[in-house]
Amino acid sequence: MENTSLSKYSVSFGLSLAITSVVNGLLVVLKEEIPGVMSGMKSITGHHWITHSLFVILLFLLLGFGLAQTSGNSEGAETAQSPRGKVMGGVLVGALIIMGFYLIIG
Amino acid sequence: MAAMKELLLMTHVLLGVFCLITSVWVFVDVLQASEANRARIGWLSRACALSMGLSFLLAGYWYVVHYPADKALILKGPWPFSHNFFMETKEHLVILLLLLTMYLPIAAANNLVNNKSARQLVLCVAGLVVLLSLAMEGEGAFIAMGVKVALLAH
Repeated sequence: MENTSLSKYSVSFGLSLAITSVVNGLLVVLKEEIPGVMSGMKSITGHHWITHSLFVILLFLLLGFGLAQTSGNSEGAETAQSPRGKVMGGVLVGALIIMGFYLIIG
Repeated sequence: MAAMKELLLMTHVLLGVFCLITSVWVFVDVLQASEANRARIGWLSRACALSMGLSFLLAGYWYVVHYPADKALILKGPWPFSHNFFMETKEHLVILLLLLTMYLPIAAANNLVNNKSARQLVLCVAGLVVLLSLAMEGEGAFIAMGVKVALLAH
């Protein structure tokens, strides 16, 4: 018999992926448009891209584990909310922000 | 030692292609998910994440250490858009690809055999990995060509 439930980590990390994808795009615009953000990111690790990557990866992990903890489900419990639409939407919006920004300023 | 830079770059591309192949394999296997291929879907999705992670690290090292010389060359050449659009988007879109491959094994850990919702989720993620991997390969080609036409013009 088919079931539709997903593990809580599938849901939490799916939501995290959607949010982080958009944040990744917005961070590109912020650092390119505000010199202080760019120089701040360079000063943290020596290169803006390293800081950018570390920030986005850490945000993905923290949000994923954090949302799993706040989901209210016990370990191993499952939820029926599929994050498929949010994942597709988040990645699409994040990619469009990046490509649109460099198309316009390029 | 001079060839190390090129070998590093080629290894990065090779690992990217491996990521692409494994994501296509996951996609096809999930279309026919059964107990027979359930374990394979699991380790293929982890192999996809691992190859992307290694490719990302190599590319990151190459980008920070070796790319500035290529960038200067591209910007003086006839194809400055190779950097201004293709490299600028590639270096940020690849982070999305890394996150998608990190998420793939998490999504694939659900019981795909009798769960349509889980299968649709993995198909969606694997499909996005395939599309983004192809885009990265294409952008990489534009960047390499940007260097080549700059050298030829020089």
